[in-house]
Amino acid sequence: MTRIDAQPAGAAGAESRRQRRKRRRDAQREAEIPVELYGLPRGTVPFLTSLAFLFAIFTLIPIAWLVINSTKTQANIFETFGFWFARPFDFFHTFSLLFQNVDGYGTFIQWFGNTALYAVVGGVGATALAAFAGYGLARFRFRGSQLAFYLIIAALLVPVTALTVPLYLAYAKAHLINSIWGMVLPSMVSPIGVYLMRTYADISVPRELIDAARIDGAGEARIFFRVALPLMVPGVVTVLLISVVAVWNNYFLPLLIFNINTKYPLTVGLGLWSDRAVNSGDADLYPMLVMGGLVTIIPLIVLFLVLQRYWRGGMLLGSIAN
Amino acid sequence: MRQSTLPRAARPRPAARGRARFGRSAWVQRRDRRGIWFVVPFLVGFALFMVVPLGYAIYTSLYTYRIIGGTSFTGASNYTQTLESGQFWSGVIRVTIFAAIQIPVMLAIAFFFATVFDLGVARFGTAFRTIFFIPFAVPAVVGAVMWSFLLEPQFGPFVHLANALGFGGTNFFSPSLLLPTIIVIVIWEWTGYNMMILYTALKSVPRDVVEAAILDDTPLWKIIVRIKLPMVRPAIVMLVFLNTIGALQLFTEPQILSYFEQGAVSLNYTPSVYIYNTAIAADETNLAAAMAVILAVIIVVISGLSFIFRRQRGELR
Repeated sequence: MTRIDAQPAGAAGAESRRQRRKRRRDAQREAEIPVELYGLPRGTVPFLTSLAFLFAIFTLIPIAWLVINSTKTQANIFETFGFWFARPFDFFHTFSLLFQNVDGYGTFIQWFGNTALYAVVGGVGATALAAFAGYGLARFRFRGSQLAFYLIIAALLVPVTALTVPLYLAYAKAHLINSIWGMVLPSMVSPIGVYLMRTYADISVPRELIDAARIDGAGEARIFFRVALPLMVPGVVTVLLISVVAVWNNYFLPLLIFNINTKYPLTVGLGLWSDRAVNSGDADLYPMLVMGGLVTIIPLIVLFLVLQRYWRGGMLLGSIAN
Repeated sequence: MRQSTLPRAARPRPAARGRARFGRSAWVQRRDRRGIWFVVPFLVGFALFMVVPLGYAIYTSLYTYRIIGGTSFTGASNYTQTLESGQFWSGVIRVTIFAAIQIPVMLAIAFFFATVFDLGVARFGTAFRTIFFIPFAVPAVVGAVMWSFLLEPQFGPFVHLANALGFGGTNFFSPSLLLPTIIVIVIWEWTGYNMMILYTALKSVPRDVVEAAILDDTPLWKIIVRIKLPMVRPAIVMLVFLNTIGALQLFTEPQILSYFEQGAVSLNYTPSVYIYNTAIAADETNLAAAMAVILAVIIVVISGLSFIFRRQRGELR
């Protein structure tokens, strides 16, 4: 009977999502022990709140500085107080420079496009491979499945530096320097993604459901896409988030494998601007560097705020923690 | 499609169950074997972009290129050259010191706030958790650029602040302050992320255990140290381990700081910086490959040992 019961439960999931979320929130509130029971001295809560406030200030200081100084001219960035605005308001002028190839070092907007391309293709690819492999490892026992899993665990231990330098050397031999594929394909290999997906598939896809679908005569691929994948969505979103961020923030690999600035991602481009601004006397690059930094971090911060419930839910490496 | 076939699907089951056990298990085996196709795409990528490069690195590290005579097999000479050079080891020592300070400080802050938010003994916990997590979305390059501006010796607002507080002539990029500066930057980048993981782990501590302790009049600090801390120990161990791997590869922050203050960051400041400069600036790729292999071995040995240690203690499935 359980096999039959399990299916409507899965299918009905979508319509009652809002109710479920509310119920979960209520349950969480109930699970919290009232503060009064701890028997804390008076003033503890305000004290701890102010400590958290101090750390929040520490966290926000560089970002506030970035926002404020994105409105300043180059001279004002250095000569006026860093945490307040100054005339003239140069925001839009600096912003327009991001669309030009200033001093021949490259065009910011092109780097932005490159980063988006690398992050989306690499991140989606990494998530797809991880979802397949995680499901395969969680729900099938084939010869070598244990070995494959241990290999993936071992891969978590191998330092990125130690993989990137050899990758660069191999690309140099294979004429893959400056190739987009040289950036995108390695980004699709995410051992941590597979590890997380395996853990998530293990807890979220009931074996009975798979068996029931098999008895219905569905093929394994169909079962994966129609039955397992919908149940794995929260885990998939988490892995997607981690993978996109990893590619978006990657500096070492693109720094090594790209040597023409039309292929640069944001990180390498901004690194180049910092170097040139300080060391080649191109001081007009400073405002662009500030503005570029701001435009680089906004998409990811927005993404995180929109997808809050996924990392808040604690799946972000939470499965490792347990 | 699912609903309509359900009743029909339920019918043939008794017959299937009646089949010989051997036959069924063979069927299961055949079916399970097909599962490998789910894993194959990843394994191909894994082989091409992790195994092959590592193999190629080991291969190429055994050769040396000379302007006169070209590339020739030189065996372990790149390894002995690296192991005997103080430059490589000074970087290793520096990142070890870095890890020994940065990781405990960061985890202490992360655990403190994770506990505070878990207990609910500070207001606006949700908002604070979101704010603390923001730096995770900031690329290390941008983080390092922002902090470089803030700490810049001539114009940086923090230098003005230090002067106003009576610490005239403070230079955050001076040799004695550079490492602490990098430590602060990395703590800024990673505390929120570590806090989220610890917070999640703390949330999984059963409520009735804590309630029972409260009813026994156990003071709060004892509940934290005796009940909560032991239950999230596996998470802490995991974080120590992941952070150590990250710390030993420190690259982006010193590399960006080196642009802002040339000369402050030596070419061999960390092993990764040294490898980068050897491979790109000095174009000694064979030597760089040997260094990369040695760094990998150091990290794999450290993490492998802790892995075995944890397995023995039953902390890892």
